[in-house]
Amino acid sequence: MTTVIMRTTARAIVPIILVVAISLFFDGHNLPGGGFIGGVLTTTAFAIVYMGFGLDFLERGILGRDVDPGKEPSRDRVVLAYRRLFAYGFALAVASGLAPLLFGKPFLTQTFAMLEGVPIYDHLEVASALAFDFGVYCVVVGGLLTILSVVGAE
Amino acid sequence: MTAMPVGTASTLVIAPMLVVLVAAAGTLLLGRHPRARTAVSLAGGAGYAIAVAAIDWYIVLAPDAPGIATYQVGDLPAPFGITLVADGLSAFMLTMVATLGIASLVFSTRHLPDGERRSYYFPLFHFLALGVTGAFLTGDLFNLFVWFEVMLMASYVFVAYSGGPQHTRAAFWYVSLNLLASAVFLLGVGGIYATTGTLNMADLAQRLANPAAYGLEPVPVVGLLGLLLSVFAIKAGLVPFQFWIPTAYRAAPPQITALLAGATKKVGIYAIIRLSFTVFAGAEVAIDLPLPLVGVAITGDSPLPFIGAALFVMAAGSILLGGIGAVGRDSMEGVFAYSSIGQVGFIAIPVAIATTAAGPELRRFAIIAALVYALNHTLAKGLLFLAVGTVRSATGTSRFADLGGLAKRSPPLALAVFVGSLALVGIPPLSGFFGKFLVFDAAARAGSGPVLVLLLVGSLLTIAYATRLWNRSFWGARTDAVEAATVDPVQVAILVGLAVAIIAVGVGFEPVYEFAETAAEAALDTEGYVDAVDPQAASDLGGLNGGGH
Repeated sequence: MTTVIMRTTARAIVPIILVVAISLFFDGHNLPGGGFIGGVLTTTAFAIVYMGFGLDFLERGILGRDVDPGKEPSRDRVVLAYRRLFAYGFALAVASGLAPLLFGKPFLTQTFAMLEGVPIYDHLEVASALAFDFGVYCVVVGGLLTILSVVGAE
Repeated sequence: MTAMPVGTASTLVIAPMLVVLVAAAGTLLLGRHPRARTAVSLAGGAGYAIAVAAIDWYIVLAPDAPGIATYQVGDLPAPFGITLVADGLSAFMLTMVATLGIASLVFSTRHLPDGERRSYYFPLFHFLALGVTGAFLTGDLFNLFVWFEVMLMASYVFVAYSGGPQHTRAAFWYVSLNLLASAVFLLGVGGIYATTGTLNMADLAQRLANPAAYGLEPVPVVGLLGLLLSVFAIKAGLVPFQFWIPTAYRAAPPQITALLAGATKKVGIYAIIRLSFTVFAGAEVAIDLPLPLVGVAITGDSPLPFIGAALFVMAAGSILLGGIGAVGRDSMEGVFAYSSIGQVGFIAIPVAIATTAAGPELRRFAIIAALVYALNHTLAKGLLFLAVGTVRSATGTSRFADLGGLAKRSPPLALAVFVGSLALVGIPPLSGFFGKFLVFDAAARAGSGPVLVLLLVGSLLTIAYATRLWNRSFWGARTDAVEAATVDPVQVAILVGLAVAIIAVGVGFEPVYEFAETAAEAALDTEGYVDAVDPQAASDLGGLNGGGH
């Protein structure tokens, strides 16, 4: 799969996918989108990088680390980072669900605030649902990428 | 938006789920610190037990308890938001699962596989508990589907946990079958939403009880309920959906198999009871289903007789197939897996009697019988599967060919297994005696001769396989494996603890019966359930007809 066509296509579409993923993520609480679908789309961008450039490219090419080609993929530092992302994302989602209890509101209650006079945007909606969504996003990205890189190496 | 009272009773409803969620997150974050992870896990288990005990007392059993409490997640009113409901039935189920869950959790700290997989064991354990707890507490049909999925996700991994070829094969079957079940579940849920315009169980019950007022044509609900019933039967492992049980139960770690048999199976039974009686019992649907091949016609004015007929057939098949299958197995877990199929049949028979019961008195009594039997099965089968774990970690095997003379090697272990087996058989004064007695009594009150004969045959088969298991592994000459065994004292202590619980339930049966009675009354009290959830206010918001956000 690591052909020139694949690599050239990947260079063009990966940034587009990531931008769409981010915009979907920010739309989530009002429009179709959200942490889950944003996370899945982000993962597909990574998957295309893996397909075009091989499994070790992230560590060697982008992060500039040395990689022993033969070792267990689950020991890769980047895979450990994916796992941590999963764990922290889950903890964030749980914590954001628990936070309303401190204010005497039921579990998972959400609210929002409008910021007026923001440059370029004029007004900006800050929704508390974003914290939960970001947790979901991390869980999806971390979980799927762990599966993808470990199973992909086998 | 109606203001929701955030009193203690209300927040208590969600407490067990929050405890498990926090424990799951904590154990995930502490992946690299085994001691701290185990400590957080045990603390989570203790917190869970306290939360369930608080629900039992403050919501259900205390003299001035309300009997039912609800919680609207995210402050969204019913029927749009997700409702959690704790009533007698939920509390009874939660108590049952919490007892076994604690035993299994403590057991897990003594019997864990090595290596990297270890760091995901406890998070998965808590996710499994979360799925079961959510399923017992939710008051929303779609949310029930979600909790089923949570439960399955965790159990998939556990079935494949040991990583051998046969485990992967078992997990593959388990995944395939359950994905199919999930699809069918979703179809049923979608159909019910299309038919009634709501998925909130209380709203569903009130709409079905008065279809004309809501402009509904409720007939399709009968078939859709049949779809849901088949999904719950897969979860409960009733014939003809039992075939995944033996391989999956053999593949999962024994302390998890104890939970699969003791807790997730009961979720299937709970869902059948909750939907049939609390939600669909009041549905006004004239049923006239002639079955010329067998010469009977199913008639009635609610979907219950239809469910009852299907349940009778499935339960009878389970009792016979489970009993006969268990007699011929060559390993301890094989016998117990088939025995689970048979025992679920024993639980389903009184449920079926309740659905076809002529009067409310018999209906109530039959549900009590089912619940008491389910409690006995959870305790006894949980004990026996944990005993498989003890025998395996002591001798390295659980096959009859390699076992023998365990009784003299470890008398306390033998005693615990003895009590568990006798509870399955139904010897007084153990919990099993009352379970079986009530089931026989319900069948006798229903005046059904063939069912009594079936129960008798099932009981004889139970005696046969329990005796055979005892002879093959606990009596006879000691094998090399048994001779070299080192029995873990903590594991045996857990088994003895469960055995004491079985005896305690039997000796002090009065309060257990009262709890089961409260649970059965809650299951039948559709009106109380609807009043507590009170979806009416939101439905009036402008004739939205249930279109949620």
